[in-house]
Amino acid sequence: MFIASNFALSRPIRLALIAGLAAAPLACGGKRVSRIEPTAVTDLSGRWNDTDSRLVANALIEQSLTGAWVSRYAAAHGGEPPRVIVGTFENRTMEHIPVGTFVRDLERAFVNSGMVRVVASSDERQEVRAERQDQQEHARADTRAQLGQELGAKYMLQGVLQAIEDEEGRERVIFYQVDATLVDLETNEKVWVGQHEIKKYIERSRFGW
Amino acid sequence: MKRGLLLLSLAALAACAPKRVHEEPILENGDRVPGAEGTVASVQGRAAVEREEAMAERDSLTAEALADCVPSVCAAIARGEVALGMDETQVLAATATTPDAWSIRQAGRAAVMVPAGWRARPHDAAGELAMVQFRDGRVSMVSYRDAQGVRVIDDAQDATTAGRADAMAERLIREGDEFAARGDLDRALDRYDRASVLRAGDPLLDYRIATVLDKQLRPIEALIRYRLFLHRLELEKIEAVGDAYAKLADAIAHARERVIILEKNGR
Repeated sequence: MFIASNFALSRPIRLALIAGLAAAPLACGGKRVSRIEPTAVTDLSGRWNDTDSRLVANALIEQSLTGAWVSRYAAAHGGEPPRVIVGTFENRTMEHIPVGTFVRDLERAFVNSGMVRVVASSDERQEVRAERQDQQEHARADTRAQLGQELGAKYMLQGVLQAIEDEEGRERVIFYQVDATLVDLETNEKVWVGQHEIKKYIERSRFGW
Repeated sequence: MKRGLLLLSLAALAACAPKRVHEEPILENGDRVPGAEGTVASVQGRAAVEREEAMAERDSLTAEALADCVPSVCAAIARGEVALGMDETQVLAATATTPDAWSIRQAGRAAVMVPAGWRARPHDAAGELAMVQFRDGRVSMVSYRDAQGVRVIDDAQDATTAGRADAMAERLIREGDEFAARGDLDRALDRYDRASVLRAGDPLLDYRIATVLDKQLRPIEALIRYRLFLHRLELEKIEAVGDAYAKLADAIAHARERVIILEKNGR
């Protein structure tokens, strides 16, 4: 009698129990992680992502390596490739965008193509210089890196990333513009200007979460 | 009636709503964006061929240039400097360039080499070349583009370190004179100071510095400079030489006068 009265649950409690039991399998589902092809387009939020970085890198590599500035320099310097230092790429958007990804892609293309020589940037060379100084004292003479043998850059690569946003209701448009410039360090002349534009249309579904 | 009003208001709302975008997407989820390896590989191949061709041309030019050079020209080629007396090939070897980098014009016994384009400017070890002039196939004049203008070398002495310093000092003095004429005494003094490092012991430079300091109402420094000017002239010698420094007579008289005045004011 006592047991029977205990199991005679009220209607709300019974409903809650049923809902809980129904949700249990979902909780068991957990997280699903899979490796996917890095070149795959995976747009989730509509914000800047790896695809945008790749598109920018591809466009700037194509524009810079096929530009006349490389051959002009080589012609005036007996076939020597121009020396470039990577300066600052400013992110002037409201988003957090790691510009280093496409800048490194560009740098890698310069080096691998053999058409452009890249020298270490001001941040990178501090560590190298410290090591070289250390070698002067501690390394064997014939293995010591010599001082005063650094290559001076002829051009500096600079750039800026800007965005324009437009939003109305469930629709949003984001326009990104990346401008890259190579500036002659002696004359301040801009010898090459590259640009890539990306326009995204984002439409939120009416019943989404 | 009510239904009509409702339809009308719905139509008005629809008219106010923004126009929808109907553009075909160019990239969608699941598409692939390959890297730029293809571009890099094609450029790499082309660059290697071009570099090899340029190096082969440069090497043959250097070999030709060194085949019959006099020792001083051979040394200049090794240093990467254009020297007076070089021929066209030797200039190309000294600047590590090929004929593509230059525009070469000939007129009778004279010839001139200027950079082929304003964006590609050949250099030698001493600086950016503006023009190389030839007389009877040999370099007679070399012009460099420097911060203060064009530096011309038409004498072996001009090509030495002392000659170069003297030419730079000359241009700095000219620049200083222009600033002084415009009334920008700070900049004029700066140029004269820089020139005095390159051309030590020039009495006229001391006189210029003294005058500018005097105009800037810096009497103590001006007095020192006037005295230095007079001292450098070694007046006793000048009197003996007579007309040798006659052109400086006004400057000497002015300096003496200012020394007296400044000394009097200083007391």
